Amino acid sequence: MINVQDIRDTARDLLAKGEVRAVIGWRAGSRGMAAEPCVVTKPEEADSLVWDPTCYHNLALQLVNDRKDLVHSKKTATAPIGIVAKGCDARAIVVLLQEHYFKREDVYIIGVSCENSGVLDERKVKAQVGGFAPSAAAFDGDNFSVKTAKGDKKLAGREVMADRCLECRTPFPKENNTAFGDDKTGREFDAQFAALARFEANDEAARWEFWQRQFDRCIRCFACRSVCPMCFCDECVVDSIEMKIAPETTAEEKANRIRWIERSAVRSENATYHMTRALHLAGRCVDCGECERVCPVNIPLRLLNTKMEREAREAFGFDPGASIGGPSLVASFRDDDPGEFIR
Amino acid sequence: MSMEKTLDKALLSDWIAAVTSGGWQVHGPALEDGIWTFKPVAASVDLDYPNVKQAPKDFAFPQREIFFAFEHIKGEAPRLKEVKPEAPQCAVFGVRPCDGRGAVRMDKVFSDNVNDPYYQERRKNTAYVGLACNAPPSPTCFCKSVGGSPVSSEGMDILLTDLGEIYIAQAATKTGEALMAAADKLFGKMGAADKKQLDKVHADAVAAPQRAVKDAKGAPAALKAGFDSAVWEEMAKPCIGCGICTFLCPTCHCFDINDEMTGMSPLKGQRVRTWDNCQFPDFTMHTSGHNPRETLGTRLRQRVSHKFRYFHENFGMLQCTGCGRCVSECPVGIDIVAVVNKVAEHVA
Repeated sequence: MINVQDIRDTARDLLAKGEVRAVIGWRAGSRGMAAEPCVVTKPEEADSLVWDPTCYHNLALQLVNDRKDLVHSKKTATAPIGIVAKGCDARAIVVLLQEHYFKREDVYIIGVSCENSGVLDERKVKAQVGGFAPSAAAFDGDNFSVKTAKGDKKLAGREVMADRCLECRTPFPKENNTAFGDDKTGREFDAQFAALARFEANDEAARWEFWQRQFDRCIRCFACRSVCPMCFCDECVVDSIEMKIAPETTAEEKANRIRWIERSAVRSENATYHMTRALHLAGRCVDCGECERVCPVNIPLRLLNTKMEREAREAFGFDPGASIGGPSLVASFRDDDPGEFIR
Repeated sequence: MSMEKTLDKALLSDWIAAVTSGGWQVHGPALEDGIWTFKPVAASVDLDYPNVKQAPKDFAFPQREIFFAFEHIKGEAPRLKEVKPEAPQCAVFGVRPCDGRGAVRMDKVFSDNVNDPYYQERRKNTAYVGLACNAPPSPTCFCKSVGGSPVSSEGMDILLTDLGEIYIAQAATKTGEALMAAADKLFGKMGAADKKQLDKVHADAVAAPQRAVKDAKGAPAALKAGFDSAVWEEMAKPCIGCGICTFLCPTCHCFDINDEMTGMSPLKGQRVRTWDNCQFPDFTMHTSGHNPRETLGTRLRQRVSHKFRYFHENFGMLQCTGCGRCVSECPVGIDIVAVVNKVAEHVA
């Protein structure tokens, strides 16, 4: 088990020595059980950092936002930025590095191993405690103890751990400057792509019926996109923020501006949005599962993304986020490419 | 309250049948794919539930509303066709007090200074059968500190209170009385013992501790004083700019209007109103490309100030009803209670 004080001490030292200008991590949330992302900039704030099974968030997103802030404010970084990263967070950082979003020396990775744990799935917890939102949680290595309005309850880890963690094979952040916790790479709580396999056992008609229901329910809050570290485009396909209107812009140009997807949250537009996103993430998604976690209407978005991931793995042996120097899926070519048409 | 009666829980489905045959479409909470949503009720309804994920504002203010259809054949005058809302009479069973108070605030927006015929047509055909919160509050509830109560009937046509074997039904409007009168025989007289139990249940519900906005009355002034505070950007640091907080909110009402084309030759389409969202990058974006609220801090300030200051300036009441959805559902833990408290602390 990781001693959280080690993380705090590391962050404090780095900040005190000026080796990093800030440390992105988690602190206790104000609303109850869940931790929340934070950016620590002073050594004396380092003690607010926490590490527990409610550190759901993929903090690589905060690196993307930091980079955007720097670019938009035309500032240059005075020192690297530190980040506390789980296995999946580190894989996301690797993809961002592969895509040259920032440089390796811009980031100081304080790795934290999930060891034999993972993050909680609040939906699973709620289902176990009669629909009541839990107010606190702790993990003792095997079980989660949660507090609810109806009393305390001990829940088996596997029962309430997020699916993404059950299927995870790389709970240790291989890419790191320093790391805490044991390396349990290869641990198996559930088969890889297990949730996808369960879903694909349905026939085509049932699958389509299922997706229609999911897309009908989408409210287009775009939380799935906004929480995704790979969705870093300045202008997303669903927004229209780059169309500048000048006095000489004609009414026709305005009317004909490209809108791939209408604002209306209806099945056709919602489906187009989700399929566009899934394709844009092929070979880039590291299955951190954040999109599925944050969806307010429970659309199981991992099914779309892990489907693409499995296709890439089976067809090309591709493993997103495995190594910085490795090829990217859609920007590389191999002589032994299995596609006949391409040779 | 003018009409207060008891209803045996076993007779709830009979009452729903009577309301249905009176021409109402009855909606009630249903658990689908793991979330509670209001759905049309066929036979009976399970009112033992926490709250719906999305506030029921869409009965009067749907996420998509068609205003009119248009067609332009070259050489001819453009043709417009008004599209009036299809608004069946809907009776929504199980509305929680925070959402009833939300409806009151939505009514102000769409009826006080403007007449929005689309909203009003739907609203006059909507009845809310409320359900008092006498289970322990969720960790993110804070209705009491913003002037509400877990047993408030504000905005409701009827308030139901669960007393175990029976409900107490209290009509709050003429519509509510009519809904009860439609099945008069099913209801019993509220006796002294029932009344005593009702009062106790309500008192206990009100006494249950909740999180709190520390000084809601002082919030409008504090937010005004703290408009330029540096804490906005600091608090918005983890914000991802998604639209969960406002789309789930019982009182957020911003909208956008677009022409959606269905054909180009001849030019054909519909003018459509959809929900908009102050957290999105194109919200308040000017045609020049300039956006006065470019940063997440200014967008957070807009959302919070609208709830706790601007709405108060416009209508004399706080807009936030303390349902806690924006708090519990925020992907990164941005907490409107903590935000208001922190700004107040900074300007104190």
